[in-house]
Amino acid sequence: MSTTEVPTNGRHAMGLPMKRKEDARFIAGKGRYVDDIVLPNMLYLAIVHSPYPHAKIVKIDKTAALAVPGVKAVITADDLAGVNLAWIPTFHGYDKQMVLAVGKVLYQYQEVAAVVATSREAAADGVELVDVEYEPLEPVVDPFVAKTDKTLVREDRENKTNHIYHWEVGKRAETDAALAGSEVKIKERVYFQRCHPAPLEPCGCVADMNPATGTLTLYMTSQAPHAHRTVISLVTGIPEDKIHVISPDIGGGFGNKVPIYAGYVCSAVASIVTGVPVKWIETRTENLTTTGFARDYHMDVEIGATKEGKVTALKVTTVADHGAFDAAADPTKYPAGMFGICTGSYDFPIAFTELDAYFTNKAPGGVAYRCSFRVTEASYAIERGMDFLALKLGQDPAEVRLRNFVRKDQFPYATPLGFVYDSGDYHTTLNKALDIIGYKELRKEQAEKRARGELMGIGISTFTEVVGAGPSKHFDIMGIKMFDSAEIRIHPTGSGIVRAGTKSQGQGHETTWAQIVAEELGLDPLNLMVEEGDTDTAPYGLGTYASRSTPVAGAALAMAARRVREKARKIAAHVLEAPEADVEWIDYKFQVKGVPSKTITMKEIAFAAYTNPGPNEPGLEATYYYDPPNLTFPYGAYIAVVEIDKETGYTHVRRFLAIDDCGTVINPMIVEGQIHGGLTEGYAIAFMQEIAYDENGNNLQPNFTEYLIPTSLETPKWETSSTCNPSPHHPIGAKGVGESPNVGSPAAFVNAVMDALSPLGIKHIDMPLTRDKVWRAMEAAKTP
Amino acid sequence: MNLQWQGHEEIAAPKERVWAFINDPGSVANCVPDLVEANVVDTHHVDAVVKVGVGPVRGNFKLKIELDPQADGSRMNLKISGGGFGSVVDLVAGADVKAAGDASTVLDWSGSATMRGPIASIAGRVIDAQAQRVISTTFANVKARCSS
Repeated sequence: MSTTEVPTNGRHAMGLPMKRKEDARFIAGKGRYVDDIVLPNMLYLAIVHSPYPHAKIVKIDKTAALAVPGVKAVITADDLAGVNLAWIPTFHGYDKQMVLAVGKVLYQYQEVAAVVATSREAAADGVELVDVEYEPLEPVVDPFVAKTDKTLVREDRENKTNHIYHWEVGKRAETDAALAGSEVKIKERVYFQRCHPAPLEPCGCVADMNPATGTLTLYMTSQAPHAHRTVISLVTGIPEDKIHVISPDIGGGFGNKVPIYAGYVCSAVASIVTGVPVKWIETRTENLTTTGFARDYHMDVEIGATKEGKVTALKVTTVADHGAFDAAADPTKYPAGMFGICTGSYDFPIAFTELDAYFTNKAPGGVAYRCSFRVTEASYAIERGMDFLALKLGQDPAEVRLRNFVRKDQFPYATPLGFVYDSGDYHTTLNKALDIIGYKELRKEQAEKRARGELMGIGISTFTEVVGAGPSKHFDIMGIKMFDSAEIRIHPTGSGIVRAGTKSQGQGHETTWAQIVAEELGLDPLNLMVEEGDTDTAPYGLGTYASRSTPVAGAALAMAARRVREKARKIAAHVLEAPEADVEWIDYKFQVKGVPSKTITMKEIAFAAYTNPGPNEPGLEATYYYDPPNLTFPYGAYIAVVEIDKETGYTHVRRFLAIDDCGTVINPMIVEGQIHGGLTEGYAIAFMQEIAYDENGNNLQPNFTEYLIPTSLETPKWETSSTCNPSPHHPIGAKGVGESPNVGSPAAFVNAVMDALSPLGIKHIDMPLTRDKVWRAMEAAKTP
Repeated sequence: MNLQWQGHEEIAAPKERVWAFINDPGSVANCVPDLVEANVVDTHHVDAVVKVGVGPVRGNFKLKIELDPQADGSRMNLKISGGGFGSVVDLVAGADVKAAGDASTVLDWSGSATMRGPIASIAGRVIDAQAQRVISTTFANVKARCSS
């Protein structure tokens, strides 16, 4: 279907594979990104970074930089201190972070100074000539070393320790007792490596202070424009009505564009001081080395079970490396995010999890990289754990899962760690996956290959996600409740504008939001313009991350559309000359009860709303702020089939099947695209990517020659299918899907590789499973 | 990134000439390949600018070189620190200087360096080979100039 075609009968929009409306401009190269914005008299900002991971700053000499033709200013922490912006609060408000280094640097590539100049080239030349004298200090790059407090990362804090916080949920004593009494136990450590969202477009902004109006306009790569406006107002003292955040087209976010970065702050300060616009566009190296990373969890997984394979208890103990600041992107009351989802899809009678976070001399972060606040880490832990258990029991990993799934009749299901799962049918989904992939035949083939000494593996991951933050009684960001919003205005001719507090970074909101509203109102989705990302026009919302757009804003859109429909009912009653109670919404139009000939379409009502509203208030529009009653719990069953070259360690992903259940599907083509993208990122994490540091605190993956992005050559062919168990509490039953493949796939890949290597006695290799790591493990296994 | 090297060099020149040569910071600096400029600060210190090209990392390094000779003429210690384009190098080295007959001198040397920044992360896989090339070229230059 082309973008100009109208979906079936022009009304049934939900569930149709509409091509993305926004792609017309992207394909034509007409997208408008931050770096496309050029304003008169604009200056450019570039940043000086520290080569040291830990060092005192002895002095910063700006003289040579200021002598570069075109350089207008060099900003340091001392300058920011003058406007009370040397430090800003971190995401959840428990810590503070330096904008530019204050007194000492805490990680390699940390921002030390900013140069403002009339051109990018002059700014870059100025950066080279800012003379910073450092006194190196011993870095601490390992959280297990940080635990000793031998080297203190954060001397500015009252508590002289690298320990940031302890968090726990569940019943410790009962879980320990259950584990101790279990017939079978496993305890293994798995590490989910530090990785990076690496969006195609790095971060950037254009700050434009208008001295005449006193308004600061910020064009920025923001996944949460309203939240950023509020934070900027709170931190700077600028009245919120004088801050205008515009988030134009964004080339991928994946959580990376949620935090506030030094470049944003310095550009705003520079524009306020100079009275002209200032642009900052991050380089790839700056993006990979300074902006929010993801994961970096060391997890000890303990599972108890009966000898028949029924689980009895789960305990997960985690050491988290947060880098130099506690800037993890988690809701205020959830310092470890939704890690409590680590019981996964399984009916554990008892469970306990605890986590201790530490400062190290590494870049700060802990963003929700294509997952809902630490869900990927939790999913990886339990899905690896279930395979460890299957290995210990000598049972098939599919059988162990089927034996321990939460049953369909148990929903809504309260987990021992506090979540209430909304809906699901895990047995059906896994059985469908086993049938499609031909599991029995694959196991038979594997046995034959093993007999020949060949390495073939089959890996299963049956994850449950938790998304849609959130019920505002539980979830907030710096006190701002995590609801979301929608506004719908229907024009007299039946077209309209739809605005939401979310911000698409490639998810396709311009299409799916229109489909939701079109379905509710019987209008043409092609004539519903969707607008997001402008704080002066969109209703207040918390933005797009953690798969919350459809569960929260999608619900707000449906509810706002229903408000429009109720207003329309009154106008329909007037036009049809019938009591309102006798006007029914049937087959996408209003009809007088029992009189099929007396109908009126929404398009006709729209015209009447402005020309003949009768006793009703003119106009046809509504706003809705949606506070979800619960989170949603998408899930899936993924199966990977791999073969490993014994000579080189190369892993060939022969097949990968993803069965997703995200409830009601708004646009199956967009869902499939989301799954393909997430699986490709999951593949990269499993086999290629890690932000590693050497013993001196050097970041070893500062660009795409080291931090690898899968191309079409590496990316496996994806097979997808679905089951559908709608969320019972969501207005349209949707659960969210964009992050499921990233959450579920790493464990499937690793389980497959470990299954292949199990005849060699290899039980676990931490990601990424590069060919040299696999080869070294095979070589080590040869040594008695 | 930490790197370590050691070696044994024979120079066809008497120890006194070699000792005098390596005690002259200007002479030592001029043996470093791709030297852009050298400014002798005093008898033990020289500031040098050296062109560096390791993989994709290319530019000038500003280095401070400090000579620390033992009074008995048996050992020369050396410190080099500095960097450029966001990278930093700290190098410590030492050489035992012994006469091998009247016309020959032996240097048993060792050194270690710490690299930080892009030179370690981007050029890390090739830096060791590149550093060994710099060392061998430097010694070749020392040999040639002491022997001439």
